[in-house]
Amino acid sequence: MRNQNVRVGILFAAAMAVSIALTASPQTKKTSATASTIEARDLSGVWFDDHPRPNSVTERYWIYKFTLEEPPMTAWGQAQFDAAKSSFGSHPYPLMQTNDPIYHTCTPPGFPRIYLHPFPMQIVQTPGEVIVLFEYDSIRHQIFTDGRPHDAALGPLWMGDSIGHWEGDTLVADTVNLNDKTWLDRMGHPHTDQLHVVERIRRADHDHLVNDITFEDPKAYIKPWTAHLTFALHPKWTLGEQFCEDQNSFEDIESNEVKPMK
Amino acid sequence: MPRFLFGFALSLAIGLSLAEAVCAQTRPAATASKAPSSDPSHDLSGVWFDDHPRPNKVDERYWVYKFTPDEPPMTAWGLAQLNAAKTSFGPHPVPIAETNDPIYHTCAPMGFPRIFLYPLPMQIVQTPGEVIMIFEYDSVRHQIFTDGRPHDTSLGPLWMGDSVGHWEGDTLVADTVNFNDKTWLDRMGHAHSDQLHVIERIRRVDHDHLIDDLAIDDPKAYTKPWTAHLTFILKPKWTLAEAFCEDEQSFQSLDEAAAEPAKK
Repeated sequence: MRNQNVRVGILFAAAMAVSIALTASPQTKKTSATASTIEARDLSGVWFDDHPRPNSVTERYWIYKFTLEEPPMTAWGQAQFDAAKSSFGSHPYPLMQTNDPIYHTCTPPGFPRIYLHPFPMQIVQTPGEVIVLFEYDSIRHQIFTDGRPHDAALGPLWMGDSIGHWEGDTLVADTVNLNDKTWLDRMGHPHTDQLHVVERIRRADHDHLVNDITFEDPKAYIKPWTAHLTFALHPKWTLGEQFCEDQNSFEDIESNEVKPMK
Repeated sequence: MPRFLFGFALSLAIGLSLAEAVCAQTRPAATASKAPSSDPSHDLSGVWFDDHPRPNKVDERYWVYKFTPDEPPMTAWGLAQLNAAKTSFGPHPVPIAETNDPIYHTCAPMGFPRIFLYPLPMQIVQTPGEVIMIFEYDSVRHQIFTDGRPHDTSLGPLWMGDSVGHWEGDTLVADTVNFNDKTWLDRMGHAHSDQLHVIERIRRVDHDHLIDDLAIDDPKAYTKPWTAHLTFILKPKWTLAEAFCEDEQSFQSLDEAAAEPAKK
């Protein structure tokens, strides 16, 4: 990643120079803005969540749910949530007693829950794709930016079917065709196969990425609601190997998570 | 599971039709390729699928369950391990319920280099310091660092090993060590230990074809290093699909499909 950091650094320096030039000479605006936009569309790198680290796990809501406040659940959604026995939150269950669908069989956490597992992710880009590689269980969130439409024949999927387009320097990714086998988060908030997720992913500056997520699922929630995820660039990190092998994989992870942060 | 089966069948069907098309008309090489590396001959990116012929009988398609048609040169320990393996492939397959294949029943990772034997596509993406193979099968990642770092033994033992690479001309030479000993080398039950050392020589022979020559060394399991030759064909219109191991049935569908005669 060292080389990449150098490359991104050069691009960033170039972008700064361009924006200074742009302020100084308005006649170069068109060309400079285009170059600057292209550079801003580089989301590549290894990213890790950028939340503060309070000592108590119940204060670190972002490792088990998307928002501090409860999302606006329907009666059905609330009933599902009440039936969930999560190993997180204010009334955590021991792992042996949880009915979290990912335990005991290594089934995938699915999308968007994957964002809540506190491991780094790496974004790589090809001319027609933005691919988010998660360290956690080698999961992939693959966003096609080549103009293709959704393909309903693909679903239902654990990670859904994601297509994206650029609005200025923001990647807008639209995900549907999800199955209903997963929890939305690690606390047991539900979703159905009608879940529709829109992400607005933007590099706020060279070292910071934001992802504003809108969740819509008329069966589980009375209205769309949003979450704001922030990530910091880790130029010297690379993804490690982390496979779910058996239930012990999770026990190790969770026993580490509930410890106070170092 | 239907998705798994569907993806496999589709890949196979498209693979067959495209393979014929390529034979019929030789394509002009070097159409527009976007190289992330400064050297265009170092661009391995794209979606690749194995390029073997498709005989009708599964035991003639050795490449879906082992690396070479001939037996590798096993030590006594290696042979004992193979004899104890109850595989669902090969000349004496056992039903999946009776196999002791370590990946069944728990969705444990199949590891490296066994991942190459699954008949699903893989995509290569490159960054300035890495060549990353992403396998459709369970989204497994073979990440080769080309930034000059040495092996890091503190990382192991790993399912996919620790891979570092460098370029020799247009060939990426990837060196992988730090394995665990929990996996079979292939789907037939050939053994390896944590002393396994794999060297790959990966080269794009022309725009549409990739080869990976593997040298496999493991003094505990084999009397000498041996080699395998893998060939891949570019699938410019394919993208990787989702194929997660969910439970035992995921594999059952895949293996049943693999055991069926190849469709024309």
